Amino acid sequence: MDYDNLLNMGTELGYQLMYSGAEIYRVEESVHRLLTAYGLQPQVFAIPNCLIVSLTTPEGHPITRMRRIPPHGTDIELLERCNGLCRRLCADPLPIEQAKALIDRLEQEKRAYPNWVYLAGYVVGAGFFAAFFGGGPLDAVSAGICGLAVGIWLMYIGAPLGFNGFFRTLIGAAIASLLAMGLVNVGVGQQLESITIGTLMVLVPGMALTNAMREIMAGDIISGMSRTADAILTATAISLGVVISLAIGM
Amino acid sequence: MEIILSFLPPCLWAFVACVAFGLVFNIWGGGILICGFGGALGWFVYLLAQHLLTDDIVAAFLAAVAIAVYSEIMSRIRRCPVTGYLQVALLPLVPGAGIYYSMRYCVAGETQLFLNTLLHTFGFAASLAVGAMLASTVMRALLPWINRWRVMCLGAGTPSAKEKE
Repeated sequence: MDYDNLLNMGTELGYQLMYSGAEIYRVEESVHRLLTAYGLQPQVFAIPNCLIVSLTTPEGHPITRMRRIPPHGTDIELLERCNGLCRRLCADPLPIEQAKALIDRLEQEKRAYPNWVYLAGYVVGAGFFAAFFGGGPLDAVSAGICGLAVGIWLMYIGAPLGFNGFFRTLIGAAIASLLAMGLVNVGVGQQLESITIGTLMVLVPGMALTNAMREIMAGDIISGMSRTADAILTATAISLGVVISLAIGM
Repeated sequence: MEIILSFLPPCLWAFVACVAFGLVFNIWGGGILICGFGGALGWFVYLLAQHLLTDDIVAAFLAAVAIAVYSEIMSRIRRCPVTGYLQVALLPLVPGAGIYYSMRYCVAGETQLFLNTLLHTFGFAASLAVGAMLASTVMRALLPWINRWRVMCLGAGTPSAKEKE
């Protein structure tokens, strides 16, 4: 058996899982199960931006691979496909070449919505969260406009220009807050607070904080801590953005 | 009764908002409606518990339990990982506003308000996490038993849950 290729395959699947936003324990367990299905006893260690897989061949030769995970979002479609493939390979270990080809095709074959659907998601999400936080119909419309602006900034301007996460969030929050103030001044929106919070739901790290707590409860303390720090940093970026735009608005 | 009716509009907004965020997270097909119903269910339980118990941390715990039980069942039926359903359905509950306000107090120099809000936010997030983890663990322990019972009563279970094990 070609253990180098097997290790590459396991690491690649773990990378795809991690990249689609899976929890740490799911990544570790999936890679472990996959390599165990091929008759090995692997060691897997993952933290939010790094994955290490190590195994010992039957001849006693240890091999290790480390893979760094770049910043990523959440992609449930990719996650479901990875999970399905992993379960399939565990039940029926295909020859390594075939399995490797299947894993390499995961990313190309997954379905993705066209960009306007994502933008519509931002608009509708922001609008209805504004209504959810106590805004009226006009507030929901204003929040939808702000959500559209944030979505365009995140997808078309911030990411291609290569801004890092902190500044992308900061400027996104500033845009949302300035636009909300403008719309309230013009008289379209009534409650500044619910418009701002509804729009910022796109950026706000409540999900990150809850996931961090879940990692800590699951026993992955290092991952949980680094995610908590990340959530606090994101929240700082948002509040700085809002404060800057308040200063400009005055 | 009137109180329960007054809960319905926010639940409806939560449903639509969760469906929209399901699109942003690239969820396809029926899964997106499952997320929406999960969000509405969680918010309904939260409002009801808050009305009866007047403590929002306990209410968040109960809502997280309801969402986790619902998501585990749905993930067994659809044979998909529970992550997506759980994350999107928890969205209306996650303390985004809390963490935002606490950092705003921090930037404004209001240390006391900052600490109060931050600790409350951490408590809220922790109770959501404990609720979700607890319900998932219990469900995972119980599902084989439920399956066995269903096979005994109905003669044959649906293949979905059986193949999962």
